[in-house]
Amino acid sequence: MITINKYIHKLNFSIILFSAFILQACNKELPEAVPIEYPVGSASETVLKKLDAPEYSILKTAVLKASNFTSSTGRLSDILGNPEGELTFFAPDNTAILTSFTLLGLPANASSLDYFSAGKLDTLLKYHMIGGRTLSSDKITSTFPNMYLQSALVLAAPSKDLPPGLRMPIFLDKVGTNNFANYVPITQADILASNGVLHKTAIALLPPDQVLWQKIATHADYSYFKSAVIKADEGDAAKTLQAALSNAAANLTVFAPTNAAFQALLTAQITPGVLPLVKQGYINTYILPAIKAANPGIADADAMVMATAAANTEPHKTNILNAAQAQAAGMAGTPDVFNNPALASVLTPQTVKGLVVYHILGTRAFSVNLPTTESNFPTLLNGAIAAHPGIGIKAVWGAAGVTAITVKGLANATASNVLINQFVNGTSDQNFINGAVHRIDQVLRPQ
Amino acid sequence: MELLPGASSALYGSGGMNGTLLISSKNPFTSTGLSVQAKGGAMNLNNKYRDASPYYNIGFRWAQKVSDKFAYKVTAEYIKAQDWLARDYRNYKRVGTNGAVGIGTRETDPNYDGINVYGDETSINLRSLVLDAIGTKVPFWESYIKTLPQSIMVSRTGYTEDQLVDPNTVNLKAAASLHYKITPRIEAILMGQVGGGNTVYTGSDRYSLKDFKIAQYKLEFKSDNWFLRAYTTQEDAGESHNLTATTRQFNERWKPSATWFQEYGFTYLNAKMSGINDINAHNMARAAADNGRPEVGSAQFKELWDKVRLTPIYQNGGLFLDKSDLYVAEGQYNFTSLLNNAVEFLVGGNWRQFVLNSENTLFHEKDGPIKINEIGAYGQLGKEIIKNFLKFTVSGRYDKNEFFKGKFTPRFTALIKPADDHSIRLSYQTAYRFPSTQQQWIDLSVGSGTLIGANKKIWEAYDLINNPGISAPEFVANGSRNAVSYKEVMPETVVSYELGYKALIQKKFLVDAYVYTGTYNHFIGRRDVLQFTDATNPSVYRGISVVVNSDAKVKTFGWGMSVDWRLPSNFALTANISSDEIKDVPDNFRSSFNAPKYRSLVGLSNTGFGPKNLLGFSVNWRWQDKIDFEGDFATGNIPSIHVVDAALMYKLPALKSQIKLGANNLLNQYYTNAIGNPSIGGLYYLAFTYNLL
Repeated sequence: MITINKYIHKLNFSIILFSAFILQACNKELPEAVPIEYPVGSASETVLKKLDAPEYSILKTAVLKASNFTSSTGRLSDILGNPEGELTFFAPDNTAILTSFTLLGLPANASSLDYFSAGKLDTLLKYHMIGGRTLSSDKITSTFPNMYLQSALVLAAPSKDLPPGLRMPIFLDKVGTNNFANYVPITQADILASNGVLHKTAIALLPPDQVLWQKIATHADYSYFKSAVIKADEGDAAKTLQAALSNAAANLTVFAPTNAAFQALLTAQITPGVLPLVKQGYINTYILPAIKAANPGIADADAMVMATAAANTEPHKTNILNAAQAQAAGMAGTPDVFNNPALASVLTPQTVKGLVVYHILGTRAFSVNLPTTESNFPTLLNGAIAAHPGIGIKAVWGAAGVTAITVKGLANATASNVLINQFVNGTSDQNFINGAVHRIDQVLRPQ
Repeated sequence: MELLPGASSALYGSGGMNGTLLISSKNPFTSTGLSVQAKGGAMNLNNKYRDASPYYNIGFRWAQKVSDKFAYKVTAEYIKAQDWLARDYRNYKRVGTNGAVGIGTRETDPNYDGINVYGDETSINLRSLVLDAIGTKVPFWESYIKTLPQSIMVSRTGYTEDQLVDPNTVNLKAAASLHYKITPRIEAILMGQVGGGNTVYTGSDRYSLKDFKIAQYKLEFKSDNWFLRAYTTQEDAGESHNLTATTRQFNERWKPSATWFQEYGFTYLNAKMSGINDINAHNMARAAADNGRPEVGSAQFKELWDKVRLTPIYQNGGLFLDKSDLYVAEGQYNFTSLLNNAVEFLVGGNWRQFVLNSENTLFHEKDGPIKINEIGAYGQLGKEIIKNFLKFTVSGRYDKNEFFKGKFTPRFTALIKPADDHSIRLSYQTAYRFPSTQQQWIDLSVGSGTLIGANKKIWEAYDLINNPGISAPEFVANGSRNAVSYKEVMPETVVSYELGYKALIQKKFLVDAYVYTGTYNHFIGRRDVLQFTDATNPSVYRGISVVVNSDAKVKTFGWGMSVDWRLPSNFALTANISSDEIKDVPDNFRSSFNAPKYRSLVGLSNTGFGPKNLLGFSVNWRWQDKIDFEGDFATGNIPSIHVVDAALMYKLPALKSQIKLGANNLLNQYYTNAIGNPSIGGLYYLAFTYNLL
């Protein structure tokens, strides 16, 4: 009995030990799925918060005012201040904004903001933003012509003229160590925020509000170019060129010759055509009567032989040429020259089209995007003649940026010059919804 | 039931590499009358993902000895419960790994692929296959798209297992047998058994076995010295379906991936361009692409789900048909008594035929059902060399499978008895394993690629002989291209040595200890390869998992020890611990050796205490070490497992009955025993048994 008790005593002890052990032994609960933690950058402030710096006080005021506008694409301050957002923001500082006011003809004063409604500011500032990307300067490439990106400014509700998802494009480029948004220099890059990156710009980025054709069709100095485009589309039910220049989703560069450039070219081209007629008229009117008067009774045939020979001598020769040129200039003196029946066999729609498309690049290039050594680029003419060498383009940089640009057509003796004037209603780097226009002083000749 | 541990193919045929389980049932000549067991209980307690549910198990056996020559028995069992739920929602990395559990949820990983979430295996590189195409159609987005990463992997939205599978599991089994004594010593048995039901199991994938049926018919003649039997097993998978395939196809039928990813891509770009960060843009894109997705439980969901799950896999559904049959004939004669017990001598032989018939849903059956014939013969000779001290046993068998070369496997055992109740055994054994029918003939598209069998016909069908795949993990890791060429797969063989010691001390304390080491040759496993199918386009490839032999000699090593202590007052204490290890497995080779390094059991029981010793109890604590689990469905770590089972019994001798209150997994500590398997919790039951004492 004692033995059994001893056993049981031992047993009790071992049961207690055993129970303690098993109660302590726990299975690991099946782990739940672990969320991925997305790294928060070193920056703790949102883009919106970054604008609290004094140098952005005008911009911050503008952002807050714009945020009073109920936009279908969201309140600007919500977007810039969203810690779960991601964006690249181009931030003109106070100096840049005041410069921009001056360029717009407004007083260089913070109160000039009052000229802009909340909705207008919403439009302007959304053009300063690229959503969903943190495009720090190391991600900006220098490939010709530029990075073609979409700003947060949605053009309008989709319609037959506006494809869905079309936002006002914005173009980034790197030249050496300098970065550009469109043609605007980035004065300080890579200000990191918790929800993206800011780049300080030299002036505000002004979103265009017209397509290329609206400008070309209405601007006084492009009336020849306009007529040429219309002539090129003659007989084309689709009006291909006008449609392309009107297509909001297109992305083009137009080197638009001035009216004077067209007149000079046309005059030179028409003169040889009118010369025989002018010459015969001059002979009949001036030389022949004089010869008949000097040689009474001369046979008509002999008089004509003498008169024709005399026409090739001075002063008749120069008089005839001047008369021909005057007539040609008269014909070329109006944009209707493209519809002059007398020239119908020369200025055919096809010929004119070849000429017009030779002035258009299929991408958008601002002055800062152009090469500093002359390089050839294909034009829309290459759509028809693939092997054509295109146009030769060269930009010259000075201390303040691009100071000269030349564009040379294959058959031109000399290169045309871009008339440099970047600013509002200027002549170069004129940005439109669907392309850039640079005005040039010669018509480019493909052959 | 009897478990014979260790390699044992000498007597029991192919497959007995690690042990053989023998199952025999009570004979109706000796055990007659009615026996009943009724068990009711509760499970799924404190289960985060499922409500507590009842459990029923009812069974009976009726046996009658009609005369000295004839007896019969009838048995049936019915189980009804809500099955344990597989709810591992961790993210699974299929591509670029040998399979690994990683971090990420549906909300934080656009390419999330939950282990027990199905349909999300459909995954593409959104950038190269969708966004770049959008860029060419929408030129004003092209340059923006080019600023995005080259690889943006996105998976479709899946459904969790509990959303797809009816938890109600019902299993029914019934059997009947007729026993006739031709002579007092020769008995003929005719037996038939049918069973069926539904459940979910993990194989090369998660399979919902719905309305499956399995039947077995046997005719056997047996005597003291010999037996001769033939049986067949007939399977019918019913409406069983592969959950991954079914859900992926369900998604396709609701909204084809081409459309879904397109909608996703557009929304993703628009969301980003409006200033949303990447993961939120992904989630907005998913919400948009999933718009109108059939809601679980809706009529739309049910109609579509039923349609897909009842459509065979090869017709872009999830149904797998498995009407495979097995035919076996075997016999054995024991000459020992004829030889006046001077030596133990027996011989035997068998024939098996597998008929694989999945109507092309599981197996490569381009030429109709696959028949695999195997024959084998064996003999065993035992002789006591020194009486009561040393006994030798020699056995060997020869097997031939029609698709493999014949194999002879010998076995030698020496049993030494240094004293009464003490014995030492030494054995040298060889065993072998033909690749399983699946390893030979499977041809099944699963989440990450296609699983194929070892047969050359399948390699040919996939052009893997002329255009071999390259080892996937190495290619993904460092771009190296190591071709995995066709080599005829050989049966796996193992040579093992075992030393064992058994002692019964004071008739109360039984000790058994062993160590073994095994060397596997031609170890059968799987390798994942990538096959590039378009010489002109290096981005066109497919993933294939092939069965290969390992060139390396894979070694296993193990030991075990158990004690069984009969204590006074009907107490008994049992404990065992064992260890199994595998070594020298080559890299990038999936051995599927899923044994824990250590496992142990401690149990305390009493067969009679209290008033008239009518009470009894048992408590067992099982523990197993963590496992680096490798499977065709998923691979990952299984943490160590503790399980306590306990029961309290009360005998009712007057009624020949017993009442038992018990619990499996008493502490309700949920555990899983394989990646992707259900979480098993406590099952608490009250059982009444009649006439089973």
